[in-house]
This record gives sequence, C-alpha cells and structure tokens, in this order.
Amino acid sequence: MEKELLKLEQDATNAVEKASDLNELQAAEVKYLGRKGEITLLLHQLKDLSPEEKRTIGPLSNRIKTDLANYVNNKRQALEAAEIEKKLSLEFFDITAPGTKGHMGHIHPLSQVQFEVENIFSSMGFAVADGPEVESEYYNFEGLNIPADHPARDMQDTFFVSDKHEKNHGRLVLRTHTSPVQIRSMEIHGAPLRIIIPGRVFRYEATDASHDSTFYQVEGLMIDREISLAHLKGVMAEFLTRLFHKEVTVRFRPGYFPFVEPGLELDFSCLICGGKGCSVCKHTGWVEFMGAGMVHPNVLKAGGIDGKKYQGWAFGFGLTRLVMMRYAIDDIRLLQSGDLRFIEQF
Amino acid sequence: MKISLNWLRDFVDIPNNIDAKEFGRIFTVRTAEIEHVEDQGKLFSKMVIGKIKTIKPHPDADKLRITETDVGNETLQIVCGAPNIKEGMLVPVALVGSRVRWHGEGELVTLEKAKIRGIESSGMICAGEEIGLDPSPEGIVDLSPLNVKPGTPLAEALGKNDTILTLDNKSITHRPDLWGHYGLAREVAAITGKKLNRLPENTKLLAGNRGAGELSIEVKEKKLCPRYVGIIMEGITVGPSPEWIRQRLNNVGYRSINNIVDATNYVMAELGQPLHAFDADKIEGGIVVRSAQQGEEIATLDGNKRKLSKGMLVIADHKKAVAIAGVMGGANSEVDSSTSRILLESANFNPSSVRKTSVRLNLRSEAVQRFEKSLDPHLCEQALDRVCEIILQICPTAKIMNQKKDVKNFADKKMTVKVKLKRVQSKIGAEIPASKAIEFLNALEFKASEKTKGTLEVEIPSFRATKDISIEDDLTEEIARMYGYENIAPRLPELPIKLPLENSERKLKHFARQILSYGLGMNEVYNYSFYSQKDINKCLLPAELHIQVNNYLSEDQTHLRVSLMPNLLKNVAHNLKYSPEFRLYEVGRTYEDLQEYFPLEQKKICGVVVKDKKTKDVFYEAKGLLETFLGAFQTAGIEMKKGESLCPYAHPNKYAGYYLKKDGSELARVFEVHPLVAKNYDLENVKIAAFEINFSLLASLGQRETKYKSLPKFPGIDFDISVLVDDTIEIGGIEKALRESDRKLVKKVELFDLYRGANVPEGKKSLAFRIGLRADDRTLTDAEMKEVQEKIFGELAKMGGEIRGLK
Repeated sequence: MEKELLKLEQDATNAVEKASDLNELQAAEVKYLGRKGEITLLLHQLKDLSPEEKRTIGPLSNRIKTDLANYVNNKRQALEAAEIEKKLSLEFFDITAPGTKGHMGHIHPLSQVQFEVENIFSSMGFAVADGPEVESEYYNFEGLNIPADHPARDMQDTFFVSDKHEKNHGRLVLRTHTSPVQIRSMEIHGAPLRIIIPGRVFRYEATDASHDSTFYQVEGLMIDREISLAHLKGVMAEFLTRLFHKEVTVRFRPGYFPFVEPGLELDFSCLICGGKGCSVCKHTGWVEFMGAGMVHPNVLKAGGIDGKKYQGWAFGFGLTRLVMMRYAIDDIRLLQSGDLRFIEQF
Repeated sequence: MKISLNWLRDFVDIPNNIDAKEFGRIFTVRTAEIEHVEDQGKLFSKMVIGKIKTIKPHPDADKLRITETDVGNETLQIVCGAPNIKEGMLVPVALVGSRVRWHGEGELVTLEKAKIRGIESSGMICAGEEIGLDPSPEGIVDLSPLNVKPGTPLAEALGKNDTILTLDNKSITHRPDLWGHYGLAREVAAITGKKLNRLPENTKLLAGNRGAGELSIEVKEKKLCPRYVGIIMEGITVGPSPEWIRQRLNNVGYRSINNIVDATNYVMAELGQPLHAFDADKIEGGIVVRSAQQGEEIATLDGNKRKLSKGMLVIADHKKAVAIAGVMGGANSEVDSSTSRILLESANFNPSSVRKTSVRLNLRSEAVQRFEKSLDPHLCEQALDRVCEIILQICPTAKIMNQKKDVKNFADKKMTVKVKLKRVQSKIGAEIPASKAIEFLNALEFKASEKTKGTLEVEIPSFRATKDISIEDDLTEEIARMYGYENIAPRLPELPIKLPLENSERKLKHFARQILSYGLGMNEVYNYSFYSQKDINKCLLPAELHIQVNNYLSEDQTHLRVSLMPNLLKNVAHNLKYSPEFRLYEVGRTYEDLQEYFPLEQKKICGVVVKDKKTKDVFYEAKGLLETFLGAFQTAGIEMKKGESLCPYAHPNKYAGYYLKKDGSELARVFEVHPLVAKNYDLENVKIAAFEINFSLLASLGQRETKYKSLPKFPGIDFDISVLVDDTIEIGGIEKALRESDRKLVKKVELFDLYRGANVPEGKKSLAFRIGLRADDRTLTDAEMKEVQEKIFGELAKMGGEIRGLK
C-alpha cells in the first residue's frame, strides 16, 4: 500500500504540474483528492490495515495529503495570476483620454497676492488694518500734511462724491491712497504701531493699458522709539526676498511726499537681470517700487502721537503693479474686466 | 522739465567727457529723478557740413546728379536726387557709417558706400526729415546761412552737441530752487564738490535818461504779492533772437517767439523766476496789483477770453487788467513787432493764490508751475537784472530809462533751525559725525555750526526757506541724501516678539474665498465701485441710497454701488459670449447714503450661478451653495424665511432671506434674478440665481467653536418612505413634521427624490425621504421602529399625504 500511495502521489503531482489552466487543475484535484478520488479511495482501505502498518501508512498518508493540497494551492495561485496576467495583456486602455474634471474655481490674482503679502508682514509682527474707501478731505489730505492748494494735490487727481461738507472734515472723496488709515490707526492704537493696510484706492485719471481709476495699494507703518531708515531697508529687503523667493536688494533715492520727511523712493534690484541692466528695468538695473519715508511730525501729531518720543516710517506700494509684474500682465484693465478667460488662468 | 547739460556748464564745471547716464544716476540718487538722458550728438555722429563744389548730370538717370562735395579733409563723389542743390551750397552730409532714415520713413539704417545707377556714391546729401531735423519739403536743407567751414561736425554746426536730461517734475514739487538751470547747477556743485560760478545778486544797472519819469507801481494786495520789481526799457527793436538763444530754448523745450519774449523765457529757464514783458506804451498810467472785480474779463495770450472772479489777483494799469498775476499775460499789453518800449515785471506772488486761480480758470502755464512751488522773493531782482543784461546784449538799441522800481512786502528775516544730531542719526540709522553733517549742509549753502555739543544751528539760505526747509526733519533729509542713501546699511529692527493684533475679518475674507473658489467651484471677479444711472434703473434700485460721483470719468461710472449685483450682471452678459454656464462671485464694498456725513460702507459677497435656460429651479443650486458656505463658517442662530427686506432685483417668489435669530437682521439672501431685471440686461436666455451675504455682519459673528461629539455606540436603522402630497405643501414643513414625530429617535430626515409627472396626479408631487432612527443607549428593536413609523404615517396623513411605499 505504501508503494501504491507513493505512486499515486507521483501521478497526482504530475497531473497537477501538467495542468495548464484552472479547469485541468480542478480535474486533477478531483481525480486524486476528491471525495471519490483515487487517493481518497485508497485511504478508505486504511481501516483494514494492521496496527503496525497503520503506524507507518497513517503519517505517510497525512504528509502526502498535506503536500498535495499545498501543491494544488500553489499551482492554483500561479494559474490564477497567469490568467489575470493574460487577461490584462489583452486589454486596451487609453490613458490619454481626458480625466473626469473636478469642479474647482479660481481666486482673483489680486486676492492671492494680497494674501501672500499679508502673511509675510504678519510673520514680521505687522497687524493688518482697514479703513473706509469714501474718506474725508481731512484724512486724505490735511491730516497727511497736504493742505488745500498744495501742488502735491496734483499728484493725486481726486474723485469727489456727494455734496456733503463737514466743518472739520471738508468734502467727501474716494481715498486716493491708503495713507488716511495711518492716521486712523494712530488715533485708535497709538504708539508703538506696526501695521500694513492693503486696500482699494481711486484716482480721477483716464484709463489705458497701464492706468486705471481703481487700483490696490499696500500701506505700511512702523512706529516705535528708535525706528530708522536702515530698518526700512532691512524690512523691505526681507519682504521682497520672501515674496520673490530670490535674494533682492533695495535702494533709496530722494522722493517727495508731503507726509514723510525725509521722503524717498524705493527701487529693488531687477529680478530679471539681477542689476546688470535689461529691457525690463530700462537698463538701470532697478525697478521702481514704492514711495516711503520717515513719518512727518505733522502726521504723527494728527494721529495724536508724541513725535518727541516716537518716530517711524511709512511706505506705500502698488499691489496692482506687483500683480502685473509677477504674472507679466500687460493691461491693467483686465484685472477689473470680470472676464473668466483671464481669471481662470490663476 | 528738460535740463541742458551745456547750460549747467555755464555755472559749474562738468567734464566734457562725462558719462551722461552716470551723471543722471548720481543726480537721481542724491536729489531728484532724471527720467531720461538724450545725447543729441549721437544722432548726428558721422555727419558733417559739406560744400557742393560741382554738379554734373548722371549719364543714366534724368533726375539724379553727380556732385563733388567738399567735406573738409577730402572731396567726395555723392549722387543726389534733390532738385534744389546748387554749387557753393552748404549741406548736411551723412558719411558712410552714419544712421539715416530713408525719405524720413521707417527705422534708422546704416549708410554704406553704394553704386547708384552705376555711379559710385560715398555718402548722402540729406533732407531734414532724413536726419531728424525739421522736414525740408524743397529737398535738401540749405545750411549756407550757418556760414561754417566744410567738415564741421553737423552737431556742432547746429548746436546739437548738447545732452538733454529730463527731470521728473513731481520729484521737485518741494524744491522751488530747482526750477531753473542756475539752481540745478548749485545742486550739482554741492554733489560733486565743484565751485559754483555765481551770478551777481544785484547789479546797479546804468540808468539811462533819468528824465523819462518814474515808473509807478502800486501793490494793493500786499499779502498776495510779496514783491514786485519793474523797469522800463526803450529803444526796443522786436525781432528774431540770435541763434544761441534759440538753440538753448529749443533744447529745453521752448518755442522761440521774439527776442524780448525769448529773453524772459531764457531767464526763467535759467533762474526759475517767471518774468513778463509788457508793451509799455499800452500801459495806461502805471501798474496796479489788485484783486479782480467779479466778472471782470481779460483776453489772455493764448487767445482765450477769461472771466475772472473776485479774489483772483490781476496786474492792471489805471484803466484795465493787463495780466492774470503769475498765470498769464493779457493780449491787450502784448509785445509785438511795433513795440519800442517795454515794461519788465519780475514779481513774487502768493503760491496758493496763483494755484487757486489757475485751477479755477483751468489754465496751467510755466509760470504757474513755478509760482505755486513758493519762489524766493529775493530772486526777483536778480532775475530782472539778468533779463536786462540779456536784452541789452541781444537788442543793442535798447536803453534802460530809469532805476528799478521795487515794492517789497515781505520780511527779509534769516531763519535758523536747531538740529539734534542724535535724533538725526537715530532716524537715518547711521552714525554720521557732526563734522560730516556740517560739511554736507554747508555744501548746500546752509550755514551750519555746532554751537553746543550735539546740536547744530543751521541758517537756511533764502532760496530754501520759502517752504522747503523749516524743521529738523527737513535737514535730516539734506544730511541723509548727501551722506548717500546707498551708504545706509539695511538692518532689521530689534523689537519684542509680539503677536500682531488679529484682524479676524481679513482672515475670514481669505477663508471665504477659499471656500467659494476651491470648495464650491466659483470664480472670483473684481469690479469697479461705480455704476451708472442706467444700472440703477435696470436693477430697479432706489435712487436715494446712492452717492453720486461729482467728477465722474464716464457716463458708466456716475454712482457708487449699493449692491454688487449690477456689475456682476454685466460680467454675466460678457462671459456668456464664451461660456454657457458658470459661477461668479465678488467680495467688495457697498456704499449707502444714510443721510450722515460718512456713508455706510459694508463688505458684501455676491455670488451668481448661471445655468442653461432649460435648467429647472436654479434657485436651489444657489441655495445649496449659500448654505454650504454658511455651514463652513459654522454660523449659528440663523433662520431662513421668505425674503422680506427690499431686494428689488430678486424674483418676488423665489427669494429667501437668512436672518439672525437674536435681532432679526438679514445676514444673507438667495434668489433668482427678477425676470424684468434679467430682461433689462438681455439675459432672458439663461437662468440666473444669486446669493448675497453681508460679510461685515457675518465676520462680526465669529466662528462657533467645534466640539467633538462621541461616535454612536449602538447601530441605527434607516428606512425610506415615499409619499404623495399636494404640490402646494412646503417641503420644509414636511421635514419639520417628520423630525418632530419623535424628537429623541429621529436623527436624520433627507429628501432624496422629488417627482412630478407621469404616474403622479396633477397638482400633486411625489416625495421620497430617507429617515434614520437611532437611540444613544441601546439597539432599537423592530417594535420601536414600527412605533416611530406609525407616528410618521400619522403626521403625513395629517397633511393629506398618501403613503406610496416603505422600504
């Protein structure tokens, strides 16, 4: 019987090995190991054997059954894998057909850059302040050391609105810069003060590809005991370097704004040529960026801050211009066109 | 303003080989912005004066001729097609290698040696337009009057060897002293450390015939006219100016008029002091500086009649106004070809009065531009002397008839400003020693000295004292720019680490954009704060809430918006050209006139959903977007009701408002656009729903804090129920009834199907709800579920519902 068993094991092994698909394997399994399979039938005779024979045949038959079962299982897995493999190899799939579109909208580039600017300044300890867009002549001009009939008013052609007039405030205007919020913030918070004021401003100015009657500015104000122009250079270089992800240097040159003294213009090193001179920077190596200066004592006074104790600087740059620079937008009017073909690019 | 480098050289040493761009850069970083540098000579490089010696016909062309032209060191054969050339004529010759514009058109091209119809031609005899001069329609420019040697460089012969710098006018708004070449030269001298060749401050002019009578000048408005200096000259012959004056004026942008007017302009360009020459024979009596009478008229030199009002300052004689002071002269006293006596005026007028008059008359002039900057009254006499000197030089017959008449109404006081050096250093952020600061200031003609340690006493020169310099900070600027802004090393402030005040509204605004764009698939647009009366009508808006723009730019932008809707509807119309369906929103302010001084400014969000015309009830899409948005903000305490407040552009039935429970104020609304409004904007072929959120209010509510609720420990049971009800029964009511049928166990009520049509009787609708039951402390039994179902059937039956299925 031992011989017969070993022979059957050999036959079954061969049959399993030969099986070329799952059906043949199934057949082989049934033939040898099924309820009426040859091995099963042979083992029915086990009960007729002597105890000694049982002692040898018993473990042998168990080993053979386990081995064969394992062998069949392995073979099945191999055949199944082969079958899937074969099926996959016959399949055609076009990965170039378009994916199912998710529905995602776009945030306006002005909002995106404003968010970035606010974040950078926030991490340097600046708060974000806010003020009205319809402003009084006092806050927009007089409080900022620009009296009536001052030639500096030409720099900022002004929209006048409504016929209202107030004794201390004058007429109502659409703010021509974000600077009025300097005074409003000083009045509320006093010194020391570290704020930026991004916002919409208006100029009574004919529009073309590079001028619009509505645009965005970012005002900055830092007032403390020993704040200097050196700090302005430091903070702006830090800000621009983070904004452009590139080492940026800044330069000052004299500029005139009645609400600062000294007043200056700040340029930054051209991002394209790094200062060597190219068409973008008109071969100067510098890009004009903003007006700035030490806050004029009259402005501190208007804000209720003691100019003997506190000093500081203010700046204002064009957020709109920054956005145009960053994305190489050549027509400012696109920003307020509401045209989705434009918005969807950002 | 245009600056001539050669003119500056009259007063300060500027090397001839200077790099003009670098010069401009230095001036820019020390004083004021030079916007543009133009080297005139470059345009005329390799161009010389030629003298045509012989002219012969061209063998193969009728219109061409062959010249032998003397260009100094050689004689060239040049072919020329112009009919007006003559032997002996002086002409501009462009040599090989120069850059010319063929026939005055197109780009500049480099000239090469060429054969023209077989004849060699070495260069070109030019017409004006070919080399950037005035066009010469007759053919070649005849330069014979220049009377110079052949071979003279053309730039030199034409006086075009100057370098012209363009100064940004805005950057010298505060510097009245820089509005002329002399003041600019003084600045250049300070920057470069060179000496200034001074003009005398006053000269004793030789008086002519004393008997000619005193010039009478009466200043009635002393405050508005701090100084008036006048003089009379006789023997004037009005005619063209000599070439050197014409060239200089031309180079800095003035047109030459006649020798007298040119002389006054010349001195203005040189000293920055506007001057005026009257025809003295047209002045009746003497000069009176007075306020205009209301309605008084004067014809100005630009040919316009001007109606004056009281308070405007005029220069008059005893009968009539002859000039608007500081603004423009009158035609009635104009110098013309028959003039033989002139009255020269060099005066100082109140800057704000000049400016006001100019703004009111809408009349700008070179004089206004200077007077409004607050000129130094000391300049008047110096300028008058200078103009007399020039007229005597260019009009040799002229004679001075009497002494200058000088009416002074200003305090000639020296101003001194004290400067605490420590404060200056701390503001600049650089350790500038006292000796350096003094050196910088004195170079600029201040008189600075350290009287007590650490404090400078600085005497301000009169030309800086009118407005520019009056306090320590003004001198801080002088020290800083002379020290050199580039020498200030960048530093970061050492300030305590402190969290900035939080602006939660700003934070939420950015959060809102992220939800709307990235979460809800909407696109953000920006619109103007304006719209027109037409928009107010089209959107049925109440006119009285609007604030009008007094000086609007266009008829489309006459009013400040009280709603974001009108401009968004215009966006919709625009984008429909390119896309059939889309979602837009804007975050922006509205401005409402509440009859107080400042208007009510509120931040709003308005979203618009545009769908195909066939879409049913686009309202629900907008409603879903709004509610998802409000959900993200976790706003609590809101109830939705049929829209109550005035929203004229909303469909009267398809309009819901979201109100704060605590005070009933309206936080948001959702609606379909009123059909009439849609029609007004030609938007009848699409479905438009919108939502508006009062963002100022929303942000003020803050966000509710999230608290974790433990996950359910016991399973719940879901079942679906479908019911047939009358179409007029509101789903909100049914949902509420279902939820309240067992407040403890019903955890979920969701409408998942709504159907009208086949198999549903007219006037009815079929609704299918999924209902979830769950208890927090046990697994529900079948019996409990049955019990709740019975209650639900009861509620539905009460509303006339007919149960169609249960699953």
